[in-house]
Amino acid sequence: MNPQSQTAMPSYTLNCRMNQEAAALERLCQVVRVRGFRISRMSMEAAEDHLDIALTLSGSRPIGMLRSQLEKLHSVVDVALQEQAAVRSVSA
Amino acid sequence: MNGAQHILEAFHRHNINTVFGYPGGCIMPLYDALVDDVGVEHVLCRHEQACALSADGYARASGEIGVCIATSGPGATNLITGVANAYMDSIPMLVITGQVATSMIGTDAFQETDILGMTLGIVKHSYLVDDAEALPAIMEEAIQLAQSGRPGPVWIDIPKDVLLTEVATASPATAPTPDAHCPDITRALAMLRSARRPLLYSGGGVSLAQAEDSFRAFAETSGLPGVVTLKGIGNAGNHNPHNLGMLGMHGSRAANKAVEECDLLFVVGARLDDRATGKLDGFAPNAKMIHIDADAAEINKLREADLALRGDLNAILVAFIAALESESLAIADWQKQCQTWHTTGGFKAADNEEPMAPITGPAFIRQLSRIAPDDTVIACDVGQHQMWVAQHYEFDHPRRHLTSGGLGTMGFGLPAAIGAQFADRNSTVINVTGDGSFMMNAQELATIRRYKLPLKLIILDNQCLGMVRQQQELFYNNRESHINLDDNPDFVAMARAFDIPALHIDRTDQIRRGIETILAYDGPMLLHVAISREENVWPIVKPGGSNRDMIDETKRTSTANKENVA
Repeated sequence: MNPQSQTAMPSYTLNCRMNQEAAALERLCQVVRVRGFRISRMSMEAAEDHLDIALTLSGSRPIGMLRSQLEKLHSVVDVALQEQAAVRSVSA
Repeated sequence: MNGAQHILEAFHRHNINTVFGYPGGCIMPLYDALVDDVGVEHVLCRHEQACALSADGYARASGEIGVCIATSGPGATNLITGVANAYMDSIPMLVITGQVATSMIGTDAFQETDILGMTLGIVKHSYLVDDAEALPAIMEEAIQLAQSGRPGPVWIDIPKDVLLTEVATASPATAPTPDAHCPDITRALAMLRSARRPLLYSGGGVSLAQAEDSFRAFAETSGLPGVVTLKGIGNAGNHNPHNLGMLGMHGSRAANKAVEECDLLFVVGARLDDRATGKLDGFAPNAKMIHIDADAAEINKLREADLALRGDLNAILVAFIAALESESLAIADWQKQCQTWHTTGGFKAADNEEPMAPITGPAFIRQLSRIAPDDTVIACDVGQHQMWVAQHYEFDHPRRHLTSGGLGTMGFGLPAAIGAQFADRNSTVINVTGDGSFMMNAQELATIRRYKLPLKLIILDNQCLGMVRQQQELFYNNRESHINLDDNPDFVAMARAFDIPALHIDRTDQIRRGIETILAYDGPMLLHVAISREENVWPIVKPGGSNRDMIDETKRTSTANKENVA
């Protein structure tokens, strides 16, 4: 998809728990990219059998669409939207 | 029992008795195990892409899971198009590839590719098995996952050493738990009853959910006028008077008109693909929408539903049938209006009465539809012939129309037909293809010959990439660019080189005899049909345009049409 304008792009934080398995993180990031969002911040903590990932994202498409796509991933245990959309501006 | 033997054992437990594959270095332990296994028929295709597409065709025709196998590196990468094809059309598929030994992964070893990483976007799920003890559980989960919910391909990449490692006795097969969830239909029923112009819009999800019977019963009980997507062709059968046929880019004017005029769109198992909806802004502009689907991610994806019902299509449709049987819908005027549109704006192709006239694609397909047995499976390729089949062949069941809907994979038809023939060795299976598509997997003529498959092949040969040429004519000021195929090989001689008899026709009076000859022949046979290079598929909506702006043949030289030319 075309690069999106950075102005007035809604920002979201998603907390994802995934099973610890091959390519789990790549799978997550790929869906985020393909569905039209950019990752501006990411943190991850690995436990014995799962990963906890916090993503700060921006994108003009509905976040619910991304969330439902992430929830479809077999390795995703849970997706939680941490906060409601807030408008972020490059000039801000 | 080593890892390879365990894979075959899992096949037996899940009644998987036909697999499509191609051997090579890292998958050799599995092929060694196949030597001693008589319960699994391994079909050797001549290219890994054909293995995946045959498995796809097998799954579409049978409703069972399709299985393909390849080695690491190029074997695995050659599968990718076929797996992407299955992913786009939600076909249940198990993909098994060999991988270099675990100790060699990441060393750029011979025939090493990161196939797991390459294919993340085209699988429902995938595994790299780095521990032999995990293999039994992964096999169970993968087979179940591929077929459950919204089906799709699941890929298992297995290093060679894992295939050779002894594993514990397999765990017993666990039957998939059917998703029989049926949400409350009260509100949907009220919306349906209050609508004056409700329209049924169905897609491939109906057969994916194996809900063909309940869908047909619902369509008949409700009396709803209906349109179908490319993958939904056959849903309503060919005796439903309210079925308006395919909508969309090459849909009928009647179907697109009904969508434009309806006040309620009742969507069952469809994902509102752009080829079906056209420009979304102009799609069903006056309608509320009820969206029924197994996949929650499809709800509100492209158009917000006024009401969504997520769950098992069978259960939901049965609930509607029960409610409508007690009180039918009062939509007689709307039914009559749609039938009028169907009469005036349905697909038409006059049979050419002039015996010496050149053959046209639509006229040929209509003859084929009349002559072929009712239970014939048609496997199409991609292009003009695919649309002529969709428009003019009368399918009574969606599993008899195998078409690459989402990915649009040229070369799909021949291997898919092979898969369909293995799904039922006694059925009539015809690959209808074009000269461009045929050459994409023509090597599979050798597979037909090897297994003595009684497949029938029909090439509609216009000596060009017809669909591209058509769009160049209409939307690129007739600037033809790299579509010429007038140096095609002699297809009749080519078939004969594979010991497959073949026949050439080019006149209208030869159509019937040509079709009857190949159908009567006891074995594979190819019919080469020369058609005009200039013939187009009508009607057409400009890509990205609204379905209300359909272009008809009669308009193509008009001023109005010139406005549609980019």
